[in-house]
Amino acid sequence: MCVWCERYAGGYERWYFNPANYARKLYKIRKDEGPELQPNPVVAGGMALIDRGFVEALDRKDHEAVAKMRHDVEQLAWTVHFGQVVTLEDILKVIDIIYPIALMTCACRRSMLGTPNEENFTCMGMGPGMYKWERWPETYRGGVQFLTPDEARDAVTKMNKRGLVQTLFTFGTPYIGGICNCDYPDCSAIRTTVDYGIQFLWKGHHVARVDNELCNGCASCIHRCQFKALSFSASQNKAYIDLFQCFGCGLCASECPQDAITMVERTSFPALANVW
Amino acid sequence: MLPTITVDDKKCHDPLACRKCLLICPTHVLGLGAKVGPKKYREIDPNQFIVAGVRFEKCTGCMECVNVCPKSAIQVSF
Repeated sequence: MCVWCERYAGGYERWYFNPANYARKLYKIRKDEGPELQPNPVVAGGMALIDRGFVEALDRKDHEAVAKMRHDVEQLAWTVHFGQVVTLEDILKVIDIIYPIALMTCACRRSMLGTPNEENFTCMGMGPGMYKWERWPETYRGGVQFLTPDEARDAVTKMNKRGLVQTLFTFGTPYIGGICNCDYPDCSAIRTTVDYGIQFLWKGHHVARVDNELCNGCASCIHRCQFKALSFSASQNKAYIDLFQCFGCGLCASECPQDAITMVERTSFPALANVW
Repeated sequence: MLPTITVDDKKCHDPLACRKCLLICPTHVLGLGAKVGPKKYREIDPNQFIVAGVRFEKCTGCMECVNVCPKSAIQVSF
């Protein structure tokens, strides 16, 4: 089972359907707690926590040192700021729970591509934090664009169509404050997770299953995977998904003209139930 | 082999406006940060932005960033 659901679902089907995890009191309470729970921009993206020492340890295959550093970084990230991949269907349900929702500029694409603000409104913030964003646009670069729930559903659906993966992010776990729309290699969370094996981004509650009877080998789905889980089997002339590597975003499934890819509950596979 | 990537911030004045190196890198190694860190309720001056080889383990040594930089601010060595 998903550890976040075990801790924070509060009787709901998934932890991110529990309205308590979007509650204003969680946002405010942090000021009274220890420094480890304060919003920490250094943790954002997980990148600033990884120094040259980590990469050098990886490079020389010092597994012990890597495991220690990975553990420390993950513990901090999971306490303060981490994400989980969520299907479009689930994100649309989340949009029904929380208000306000606003588009804001993506910090990852700004730092990796220098994307100008006007082209960079791919991040979505939720809840009371957005009023702060609105008040000090110079700090948050580009400000915010508040959306009605219908506009938010439309925006997230368009970004999904465009090939961006939907993820939910905590800001002081379990407070959920952001819907990110991510892609490899410019999303810091995907990259840190996929390239370094640091679980900054958790896999979602589904996995994508290819029905080989229905797949006609058109390869329309191939470009959609941002997690190196989807490839093309030349010997079978079919899409091939590594189910242990699949993050369950659903982008491949929504692109398939044959409806040959189905999103299946992760926990329905005994061997995948604990692969997050 | 891991490279050392250095960017001379004195030569590179406004990377957010230039971003030639960020866009040319085939493996998206370079990234942009702010020298001063995040500043509450204040805009960061563009010349406080700096380029760094944040994903240096993916650097192939192609030297395209070195060649594209109009200020010759980037050095890559192995």
